Amino acid sequence: MTHAPDKTTTLDAAIDEYVPDGSRIAFGGMGGRDPEAAAREIIRQERTGLHVVDDARTTLFDMLVGAGCVDTYVGSWVGTSLISQGHNIRNAVENDVPHHLEMRDVSNFGSSLMFFAAAMDVPFIPTRSMTATDIPTHNDALETVADPFGSGDEFTAVPAADLDVAVIHVQRCDRRGNAQIFGNAVNDHLKARAADHVVITCEELVSTDVIQEAPETTRIPFYCVDAVAEVPFGSHPWHCYGHYYADLPFYREYGLLSRDREDFLDWLDEWIIPHDEYLEKIGADRLARLEELETTINGGRGRVRADGDDGFADENDDSADEEVRA
Amino acid sequence: MNEMHPDSDAGTDDHADPTVDFQTLEEAAVEYPLDVERPHDVSDDYTLTELLAVTAAHEIGNGETAFIGVGMSLISGVLAKHTRAPDCQIVTESGYVGSRPPGVVQSISDSVLGVDALVATDQMQIFMDNQRGLFDVGIIGAGQIDKYGNTNSTAVIGDGTYDHPKVRLPGSGGSNDIMTSCGRTVVMMRQKRRAFTTELDYMTAPGYLDGPGDREAAGFTGGGPNAVITDMGVFRFDENTKEMYLSQTHPGVDVDDVREAVQWDLDVASEVTTTPEPTRGEVAMLRAIDPTDIVLRGSDYVYEVDFEEWTEQVHDHWQQLMELTE
Repeated sequence: MTHAPDKTTTLDAAIDEYVPDGSRIAFGGMGGRDPEAAAREIIRQERTGLHVVDDARTTLFDMLVGAGCVDTYVGSWVGTSLISQGHNIRNAVENDVPHHLEMRDVSNFGSSLMFFAAAMDVPFIPTRSMTATDIPTHNDALETVADPFGSGDEFTAVPAADLDVAVIHVQRCDRRGNAQIFGNAVNDHLKARAADHVVITCEELVSTDVIQEAPETTRIPFYCVDAVAEVPFGSHPWHCYGHYYADLPFYREYGLLSRDREDFLDWLDEWIIPHDEYLEKIGADRLARLEELETTINGGRGRVRADGDDGFADENDDSADEEVRA
Repeated sequence: MNEMHPDSDAGTDDHADPTVDFQTLEEAAVEYPLDVERPHDVSDDYTLTELLAVTAAHEIGNGETAFIGVGMSLISGVLAKHTRAPDCQIVTESGYVGSRPPGVVQSISDSVLGVDALVATDQMQIFMDNQRGLFDVGIIGAGQIDKYGNTNSTAVIGDGTYDHPKVRLPGSGGSNDIMTSCGRTVVMMRQKRRAFTTELDYMTAPGYLDGPGDREAAGFTGGGPNAVITDMGVFRFDENTKEMYLSQTHPGVDVDDVREAVQWDLDVASEVTTTPEPTRGEVAMLRAIDPTDIVLRGSDYVYEVDFEEWTEQVHDHWQQLMELTE
């Protein structure tokens, strides 16, 4: 972490520098505002041996596992969503394809707490969760401890997450790395403090003046951040609150193709490409439509570049095209 | 206990229900936002899934905080808010409280959860509040359950091991935390003999552990499982033995059929009641929440139409529900 006044870089340079093979890594978002473009870049750079230390993970993780990038996972939940299972995850755990994925479970609160412990630099945090179940039985990193103050209650001690890097997508960030999150933050403010290095990808790179207009949304301050890359539509096919809704038909297609190994490898060939080419392939009209959908429900909150018009209400309004910087 | 609660007469002399003191509006007092003829009459064309969603919605008291996940449980929560529990508030683990999503919630950070939210915070805060005992009722799903209501949503191990299970399930998510600390928990499951088991492959979330007194000894603050809703009926837990017993069957389901779908010698209330059928208003409301049957009928046709048509449909459905609930 540095206090450099300008941490901006490109997505490929940030991944190249901060996500080497064997990294212990966490990703931001959770079935919404996920750093999908960054994950695709990790696959494109053919990383191997990653240890994902995380919370509930969806398509991004399924894709990384199917591409052979991941050796182990510590976390609370894996799948994708209502419209698909995590087929690659199951294939790796049950059938060792493309190779075995070692899973170590915690609960959702357990995942928050492992980041929280690391973020405040203590070795563990106690919780009532997970106590007396099989979660600690099959995860040697968890310990059952008695209350040292004598209440007689037992707790599960959750060890601090040991993270090399966190990769987090946010709505907007300045050059110094003041990252603002609109809508829910999930565990991102904690992951940014738990990791040795932090890569921020953002919908919009904004001036510090804009950050100062809403300082209460700066969940990740500059002193946590190493690199900032402007990556518009960096969460596609997921939602980015205030910016665009999820591209569920795209996502369903992924769910269908990932059921078969050959089909999934074809999907990788087709979609693991530099992000600007990816957006071009998706198409500006389609991306604009996703922005309009989100505007219908959340009014373009946190968005600087857009005018917030709902393109559905006024069909002759073509300003939506100008909003897309593919 | 509220006399309108569907289980008002399920507590018989041989089964003392754990205290359930929540109240819902009486059906006659429900004001449906939709224009439905004879809304309080029993529906004559409801499906089994709709019956389950309505039955789960009746478990949420008016004024309660309801901790729920995606899919069916969220549909039940939204239904409760539009019917018998207008003052309930929905809590989701990714950080939203009080949302009124205008449609199906596809993932845990789906940006539709931003609609009308009272709070947009982080996962750590939500689970701190949960462990503090601030949430009244949680709804979870599971792959396996035993007679004390302990659940498995981690792995069906079969002849394999935890590391190489027969079927890797998604994991705890928030289910462990909710069962440990939430006021009371409702479990929704498919009724299958192999799922209602005498021996869990893995205990993900704690019910009554090995029986009476165990939750208290473990220091759990939450009340534990209070109801299990399946496609055949509703189970409760005896206050003294903590064992699950059959409290009600859905219309047309025979008690002996339920016994067959449970591995242990199932305890049955001396007077098993029949699950109340949904009203016309409830069914109409459910279909307004999920007009394309994504959850209610497991349909995914809406994703098969072309992208343009999909966005139009999603937009129109959101508009419709947002106008209804203004």
